Amino acid sequence: MHKWKTSFRLHKRFILSLILLAVFGWSLFAVKWDADEVYHAGGIPTLGQIFKGLFQPDLSPEVLSKGLEAAWITLAYAVAGMSLAIIYAFIVGVLASGTLTSSRAARLANKVFFRGILGFTRSIHELVWAWLFVAAIGFSPFAAIFALAIPYGGILGRIFADMLNDVPKEPIKALWAAGASKLEVLFYGYLPLVRADMISYTMYRFECSIRSSAIMSFVGLGGLGYQIQLSLADLKYDQVWTYVFYLIALVVLVDIWSNFVRKGLTDRKRRRGFSTGWRASLLAALLIAGSWIYIYFIDHADISDLFSDQNAEYAGKFFGGLIGLNENNPAFFDAESWASALKLTYETLEMSVMAIGFSTIAACLTVIPAARNIASGNLTISKKWYNWPLYGLVRLVYIFSRSVPELVWAMMIIFILKPGILPGALALALHNFGILGKLWAEVIEDMDPRPIRNLAASGASKIETLFYGILPIVMPRFLTYVLYRWEVIMRTTIVVGFVGAGGLGMDFKLAMSYFQYTQITLLLLCYMILVVIADFASESTRKTVK
Amino acid sequence: MKKWFSVMILVMMVFSLAACGQSNNEKSSEGKKEQKTEQVFKIGAIPDQNAADLQKGMDAVAKYLNEKTGLKVEFVPSVDYAALVTGFQRGEISMAWFGGLTSVQARNLVPEAKSIVQRPRDAEFQSVFITQPNSGISSLKDLKGKSFTFGSESSTSGHLMPRYFLSEAGIDPNKDFNGNPNFSGSHDTTYKLIESGSFQAGALNISVWEAAVKEGKVDTNKVKVFYTTPPYYDYNWTINKEIDKKFGKGTEQKIKDALLSFNGEPKEIADLFQTDKFVETKNDNYSKIEKVAKELKIIK
Repeated sequence: MHKWKTSFRLHKRFILSLILLAVFGWSLFAVKWDADEVYHAGGIPTLGQIFKGLFQPDLSPEVLSKGLEAAWITLAYAVAGMSLAIIYAFIVGVLASGTLTSSRAARLANKVFFRGILGFTRSIHELVWAWLFVAAIGFSPFAAIFALAIPYGGILGRIFADMLNDVPKEPIKALWAAGASKLEVLFYGYLPLVRADMISYTMYRFECSIRSSAIMSFVGLGGLGYQIQLSLADLKYDQVWTYVFYLIALVVLVDIWSNFVRKGLTDRKRRRGFSTGWRASLLAALLIAGSWIYIYFIDHADISDLFSDQNAEYAGKFFGGLIGLNENNPAFFDAESWASALKLTYETLEMSVMAIGFSTIAACLTVIPAARNIASGNLTISKKWYNWPLYGLVRLVYIFSRSVPELVWAMMIIFILKPGILPGALALALHNFGILGKLWAEVIEDMDPRPIRNLAASGASKIETLFYGILPIVMPRFLTYVLYRWEVIMRTTIVVGFVGAGGLGMDFKLAMSYFQYTQITLLLLCYMILVVIADFASESTRKTVK
Repeated sequence: MKKWFSVMILVMMVFSLAACGQSNNEKSSEGKKEQKTEQVFKIGAIPDQNAADLQKGMDAVAKYLNEKTGLKVEFVPSVDYAALVTGFQRGEISMAWFGGLTSVQARNLVPEAKSIVQRPRDAEFQSVFITQPNSGISSLKDLKGKSFTFGSESSTSGHLMPRYFLSEAGIDPNKDFNGNPNFSGSHDTTYKLIESGSFQAGALNISVWEAAVKEGKVDTNKVKVFYTTPPYYDYNWTINKEIDKKFGKGTEQKIKDALLSFNGEPKEIADLFQTDKFVETKNDNYSKIEKVAKELKIIK
């Protein structure tokens, strides 16, 4: 018995990987792998047309100027949403960290309550929030902005709270001892310690919010997603790619900017005049100002409109509908509806597992050339002429894959593959493999190079270095990222369903079109159950890995 | 470092303050503002075809109604059927060009709304079922085991009635096709998907189909009609409740008269609607659609 335990402890990562692999294998049985069952009759020619559009995008001035305007709207909504998210995350995050409370009981109550709020707000996908807001306040830009602010605030708030809890306690104790008030401790003790991390994480999330903002159009709000959707409806793939390129450009620009900011934070060099930090924060201020001005004065969004009696009445009606007022037989009290909803829930679970499996495989195959220190030969002491071009190519594919939202991938794949869970899983995998690859590559870049160099110097082959040197070091973090992305994929499954890629989302869209409110509630309930299960499973597995 | 961080916080605070300030100012002038915004008579149309064509034609309708009635009319595009119904329910859209099913849905949500005007052909509207010439499909029964696409799930001629006639012919769309049926979202997309070979068969609005053939937008060597449904009532202009209260007495009648006096000019309207006149209609004409929708459990 004791022996078993020890061997389990020694091999737990290996065993865990096997279990995860088995789960992935199980999910594959959900699809009938027959060419006839997978493709449409004309799926392959359609794929050809989509590819043709990729290499010959529509560059007419009309499309280009439309794209520019749409890109700006997308950016403005994202910036405005993020600025609200930061305020929300900061306030609730500080409260949730319990740093402002002194008694133990109050701190615990605070933590549970505010962490609960943060958990709830981030567990629902922004597109679902957007749809709820549209139903309650109509097609106002604020629907998009709030829909972005709430889940992003939830994510940021949780991270802020975690960071505040993790600060070294010594400086804080010193401040307490010197008689500082709670607020003073917060502003002079906690905040300076976590500031750099907070800003860097916020910038990382900002990049994600650009993509989220782009897909807000799927509930009827403007931006790049709207243009993509319109051109897809007309099957003009050349235009679709033009707008997708705009989106990629936007994401890349934000990425570069956020790198600048992060660099400015880590290099503590002080220069005279304008430092990069100053420039970046000036840019942030300008962007925030520009976005709000645009939304108020050019988009004519009026916050007072939101609080009209009319809106209150509609919101009341809508939420009344959701909880089944004036309904004789609400779907959530109906056994038959539950049965079919649970079947969809199961399918959605399979879809998410399949998606993370595909993206893990794709990332595995590409991550080695994608790490800068391998490309430069620093890690393995071997230089090959093809290292750098390969590095560039893989990184380009990563950027491409992660810049395009799952929803857009799904809309295209649905023309090639038959509706069902496979197109949904593929769309999710296409988007997430780029993110996973990037995160993994960064893990390799950050690892300690000495053991590897030793191995290489003592004559280990490339494969041997990989298996005995690199893998054991990076494996736990790789697994952590896989599980973390799986949580995110779970949340997003409902969204790819919107365009017909199967699972809960597809029925959600139908229920929305038919105004069957109680059915919507039922599907949302199932969705929440899935998200909670995913969070729980992933968190406990991650603890095992550690 | 500390400095620029505090500047950032300051900027954020100033903006949140500015945001509050602005909303206060606007609240005080709310009365004035509401009057101004309510004077715009907003019209909408279900996005059942090419967005650019729809925009062009509906802008012409807005201009036409403005010339005939003196009201400020504006066309509000929308991305999906349900979004337009929601806008109508909220009173943001004063009048909309709905399909049969969406008009029934809208009137379900706003019982005082009225279907007022339609095209002569809408009294006996039809759907066509299309396929590739060499697919071997020549009747509805042959669709068993083939891949199939509807239009939007909220469409009458692209989903509701085709589904009804399919089940009359003994085909259960949820089981008998090769895979689940697809919802393409619009009639134009449907024939393009058949033309490109993505799906083996589909159903769409006869009027969009005829226009596409006439204008050469579809290659008839690659797509053919193999079945045309019996006639049913479809599209109509549905007007929202309390129009006279909002825009002044007699507005509803004025709008109706303006639509009825349309005689084929301007051409943009005639092109979009494929008609040279409009005729009166009434809510009762759609009771069959309502019945079918209830049978198929699309409405309650």
